[in-house]
Amino acid sequence: MSYLSLSNITKQYGDAVVVDNFNLEIAKGEFISFLGPSGCGKTTTLRMVAGFETPTSGRIMLDGEDITDKAPNQRTVGMIFQSYALFPNMTVAQNIGFGLSVRKESKEMIKQRVDEMIVLINLEKHAHKYPYQLSGGQQQRVSLARALAIHPQVLLLDEPLSALDAKIRVSLRSEIRAIQRKLGITAIFVTHDQEEALSISDRIVVMNAGLMEQVGTPFEIYNFPQTQFVANFVGSLNTVKAEVSDPAKGLVTVDGVQFITASDIKSRKKGDAIRISVRPERFSFAEIQKKDNVLDCTIENITFLGSVVRIQVKIGNSNFNMDTFNNPFLELPKIGSKERVTCSKEAVLVLDE
Amino acid sequence: MNFASRLRKVPFWSWVWFILGALYFVLPLFATFEFSLTWDPANPLKAYQRAFEDRDFWETFLYSNILALATIIFSILLIVPTAYWIRLRLPEARRIVEFITLMPFVVPAIVLVFGLIRIYSSSFNVPFTDIQLMQPLTNFKAGTNILIVAGYMVLAMPYMYRSVDTGMRTVDIRTLTEAAQSLGASWYVIISQIILPNIRSALLSGALLTFAIVVGEVTLASFLGVDAFGPYLFLLGQHRAYEPAALSFVSFLLTWLAMGLLQLVSGGQGQAAGAH
Repeated sequence: MSYLSLSNITKQYGDAVVVDNFNLEIAKGEFISFLGPSGCGKTTTLRMVAGFETPTSGRIMLDGEDITDKAPNQRTVGMIFQSYALFPNMTVAQNIGFGLSVRKESKEMIKQRVDEMIVLINLEKHAHKYPYQLSGGQQQRVSLARALAIHPQVLLLDEPLSALDAKIRVSLRSEIRAIQRKLGITAIFVTHDQEEALSISDRIVVMNAGLMEQVGTPFEIYNFPQTQFVANFVGSLNTVKAEVSDPAKGLVTVDGVQFITASDIKSRKKGDAIRISVRPERFSFAEIQKKDNVLDCTIENITFLGSVVRIQVKIGNSNFNMDTFNNPFLELPKIGSKERVTCSKEAVLVLDE
Repeated sequence: MNFASRLRKVPFWSWVWFILGALYFVLPLFATFEFSLTWDPANPLKAYQRAFEDRDFWETFLYSNILALATIIFSILLIVPTAYWIRLRLPEARRIVEFITLMPFVVPAIVLVFGLIRIYSSSFNVPFTDIQLMQPLTNFKAGTNILIVAGYMVLAMPYMYRSVDTGMRTVDIRTLTEAAQSLGASWYVIISQIILPNIRSALLSGALLTFAIVVGEVTLASFLGVDAFGPYLFLLGQHRAYEPAALSFVSFLLTWLAMGLLQLVSGGQGQAAGAH
């Protein structure tokens, strides 16, 4: 049985449907990410779980209790905000203890819990500092400790890393995940950063225009996207127009060049216009490994991206990006040279629009 | 760093404007003070001695201070939740409220006081009957005090509302409120422990302006017939020359002292966002 359940959740502002018939079951201790572009409804859904927004229809059940109409301060839900939202007039210790003092816990209990949380976030030396005396990363750790201090049933994280610089973002996300695992707390993480969602989550909910596009593990979302939107939004993708040439054999043609796909196109007719997608890293040079699709190409451009080298190739009249891992001994082709690239038929995706 | 290079670092025009502003502020004060010392060359402080010997000075000054304090407290009680709610839930009502708070600039105090007298000088009856619920507010001391504090609240509203609203703009009221709510805080806790401490400097400046308005106010106090400091100074000015100058100077210093104490007392705990 699920621990947190969102059933048929819809949120409307006037005529605008922001979240449309959202259904999700979350198990206890699970780390779920809501991933999507701005305005897709991910934050609104999170705010409905927190109680800051009321669903137009649908129910939210937490540990068997209907919390749909409960006020935010009646729910035991910890929330972390992008802007940290630490109380500027309180020290780190006072911020962490605030939720407990509101609950009228004893002074000893508050002190003990605050000390425990400060150790958890490694800010022992900063307990008596004010938020303005801390760095962004430290402030967000305090915010995490403050949310965890009240023993929340669910931890909600609303783009908590967006305001931080790249290095701190990576280290803090690992820290958040480690703490979440250690405490076994159920967490919902809202982000528009696919890398963040892929690296931290047990499952990802990809959202677009208020609708849930796909729910799955990071592996499933990346490798087996079910819609064009998911494939485009998560990772890089080459997408080109194609024509079905043999539905039974999975053959399609792109500007006269034939591709074979493992996707089921049996329901299509010969001559049907479709779009095929291939991830850049699924291409490789034909000499390295022979696969289903062996394609003549011209090297158009080479871009060095650090750990990856992106090679733009022209197959027929269409341009494709191909990614290969960088290494000091990598021999790259020359721009303008004729080469052969290959990809497996599983790599050629035919997705729902 | 030598003096010349230091001097080059001084922003010249900043100093010019600062000195001009300071002169505009200090010169009249100095002239008043200087005039107050010229009554008796043998005893330059004669005007001050006479003024302080007058019981009416102390009584009216104390009374005006109490009125100012009451006005500040009730203004905070009215304006802080209003400005907070508008920022949080009713941003579309902001223009209307701002317009209302500007009314005291347009409607003179004399109109306000005649309105108050006209409405509150008749008794409150049960509608359509002669059964009296309350006698006219202008007929008894407490009623008049309520009227004058209410009137002062209206006069001070533009300053208090703007100070509070500006203070709230400097902190992210909405997110702080939501953070506190998610931690289980009630509205009372949010306002008293989160909002008020974080707009403390704004409240202080609003209180300072309110204090200055109330202590020197003449029109409302005269027409409502209360023995406040403003009418006392006004009357004294009509009949004497030196004492009003001395009292103006003293009342100015006392007002500053009072506000300094207020700042000292409220500035003692923690550091609020507005303070940085």
